[in-house]
Amino acid sequence: MSVTSAAEHEELNRLLMRSGQGDERAFAQLYERTSARLFGVCNRMLPDRREAEEVLQEAYVTVWQRGASFNPGKAGALTWLVTLARNKAIDRLRQHHDSQLDQGRQIDTIVDDQPGPSASAERGEEYRRLQACLEQLEAQQRRSVREAFFSGATHNELAARARVPIGTMKSWIRRGLLQLRACLNR
Amino acid sequence: MSVPGDSDQDHLRYAEYALGVLDADARAAVAQEMLVSEQAATAVAWWQRQLAPLAEDIGEIAPAAHLWRGIRQTLKLDAPPHRPERESLWESLRLWQGIGVGASLVAAACLVVLVVAPARQEQPPSVVARGLMVSTLKQDNGVAGWTATLDPDRKQIIVVPASPAAVAPERSTELWLIPPGRKPVPVGVFAPGAVTTLSLSADLLTQLGPTVILAVSVEPLGGSPTGQPTGPVVATGRISGAPGAA
Repeated sequence: MSVTSAAEHEELNRLLMRSGQGDERAFAQLYERTSARLFGVCNRMLPDRREAEEVLQEAYVTVWQRGASFNPGKAGALTWLVTLARNKAIDRLRQHHDSQLDQGRQIDTIVDDQPGPSASAERGEEYRRLQACLEQLEAQQRRSVREAFFSGATHNELAARARVPIGTMKSWIRRGLLQLRACLNR
Repeated sequence: MSVPGDSDQDHLRYAEYALGVLDADARAAVAQEMLVSEQAATAVAWWQRQLAPLAEDIGEIAPAAHLWRGIRQTLKLDAPPHRPERESLWESLRLWQGIGVGASLVAAACLVVLVVAPARQEQPPSVVARGLMVSTLKQDNGVAGWTATLDPDRKQIIVVPASPAAVAPERSTELWLIPPGRKPVPVGVFAPGAVTTLSLSADLLTQLGPTVILAVSVEPLGGSPTGQPTGPVVATGRISGAPGAA
């Protein structure tokens, strides 16, 4: 699935709204078109496949139950869905992974998985703007922000993985976020 | 567009919440704040919207098919629009076969599934089916054991051997029709290695449909003494060409 065009976004918005109104067919279509993306996200955040599956299911159960609260005027369906799935995954991580997550996941795993060369050209305006702003950050800040988003790890965990003091990690991320805000508001 | 937030400090917490780096306590505090402060909610939403496109850098992974069924079950949703409900039984059969569980266990599990299957499932068509219908009765190893051709007009079913596994001479093969959510209904005993024509009662005719499963079990000579399968199920198949079949 590649959700890029405005028409596709519109269609997803429509499917999500209809799911919120109890339209089972729309819900099935929404799942068909978005579950692989959401599962990718869950899988990246939760190393345990089973947990990733459970969180994906929780996310779609919530989509059905709370889809009515979706307002396309505020954010697109994909943003809403990704945010929902990430929140569920982060909640799960915080429940019992606070101490154990770092084992076996050291700095080597914090690679700056940059998008492929052709990726930016195919993506939407918001994606390109975000990437352009991320480009302007220092490498350590950019890496930390990206890894934080992908993994859902805390400041503490990220610091341990990067083998830097927590103060250093917090500062990378906070300076990165402030700079990002300035750039995105430009 | 300007971003709400009293100070960088406040705003950073909202950004960090959206990014997902806060520990459980700090996270809960911001979530609480969002409930009472419009400003907090707006700032968090702004960041979520800005950051969400990063998810496009993560590869897509198709989730296993059973996850969707789990979601539907949790939500107690009825007939799925894409797949007939029987799929679950079908897949369970395959799964058990795949992991090498014996056919008798499969049969037992099959019966359990059928007996406990909720009544909300699709009802069999009430009209008598017209036109020929066929079913390939596949064995554990995936090889077709028999094909069954159902002829509603002549009220008969013709069973033709394809590559059936050997059946002990002191045993009989019996054909069953299993309507969704119900117990198997005996169709008749047939010779495993020869073309056999069995007659279909009016009652059986009314039950034919895409959600019906045909099954072959191995029984004592002459057929099941109880009216229900007592031996292992050696082949199963769905009916295609039936009214409403995909």
